[in-house]
Amino acid sequence: MIRLKVHGVLDDPNTENHVVVLRKEEGFEVLPIWVGSVEGHAIRLALEGVVPPRPASHDLLRDIARNIGLVVTRVVVTDINENTYYASIYIKANDSEYSIDARPSDAIAFALRVPCPIYATGDVMKHRAGETLDVWLKRLDSHNFGKESMRFNCDENPSRSA
Amino acid sequence: MGQGNVKWIGRKGSLFKKNLMITQMKVRGLMIDPHNSSYVVLLQCEESQEVLPIWVGKPEASAISCALEGLSSPRPMTHDLMKTLVDSVDAKVLSASITDLRNNTYYAKVHIAYGNSFFAIDSRPSDAIAFALRAEAPIFVSEDVIQKHDDEEVDRWLENLKPEDFGKYEV
Repeated sequence: MIRLKVHGVLDDPNTENHVVVLRKEEGFEVLPIWVGSVEGHAIRLALEGVVPPRPASHDLLRDIARNIGLVVTRVVVTDINENTYYASIYIKANDSEYSIDARPSDAIAFALRVPCPIYATGDVMKHRAGETLDVWLKRLDSHNFGKESMRFNCDENPSRSA
Repeated sequence: MGQGNVKWIGRKGSLFKKNLMITQMKVRGLMIDPHNSSYVVLLQCEESQEVLPIWVGKPEASAISCALEGLSSPRPMTHDLMKTLVDSVDAKVLSASITDLRNNTYYAKVHIAYGNSFFAIDSRPSDAIAFALRAEAPIFVSEDVIQKHDDEEVDRWLENLKPEDFGKYEV
């Protein structure tokens, strides 16, 4: 199990989707996950600490868990199958632990709001996206970096881990 | 208003009593507001045929429309996740209620029973409706909201609707 933090949310210039960049807490290894624009936006808001005037969907999810007293222990990116990532949310209630199937986008948006730690299995890190970091970084237009909405920090050379 | 009042739980018939000051409504449909291309959920009271339009965002409209049409996606969408979360610990979604209307913003609550307690959780109406549809929980609107709702505005809006505006939305 590898602990990750959300490094940033990028716009994929080829589609309307966003790319959530998860990064190993110590080291340069990253796990890019393509998510829908709605979920990407939800993650970005949480990263930036924006509190909307009315609760958005993931805020409601957090409020439900918080109000009824569920303890969210962690979210884990558990699997990748045919380019689809799978995640689980782990909650504790009544001395039992439950795992709930979720899309990674929802799991991450939720984890940032709770907040709780984010992990990926070693297997997922090994098979991530089926391509190297260099390839997907090249696909991203350089002009996307440095935009106001960009929170991706290019201070290290990610290819070192690829 | 039903908020915090749990006496009516499980006795749907009693909800129609006017003294509780809430009305059960069904989602009649989803449509696009022709003026600004935003999405509108139409709630309708089965008894009085009264209609309450609530403007919602596109993702929430999509979530509501999936539930209305009984579509399930290969992976759980955000509101499906809400339901799974509640189901996994045997909590029960009792209802969604539209509780207030202030400055053109509707306020809602999701009512949940868990253990021996009841919870009313602040929500946008769109999320509350999308959630309630999945949990097959009733949707209530407080009489207060219906009164506050400006009839004139709705009439004007309805007059401008064309038949082809119905059913014109993307999932």
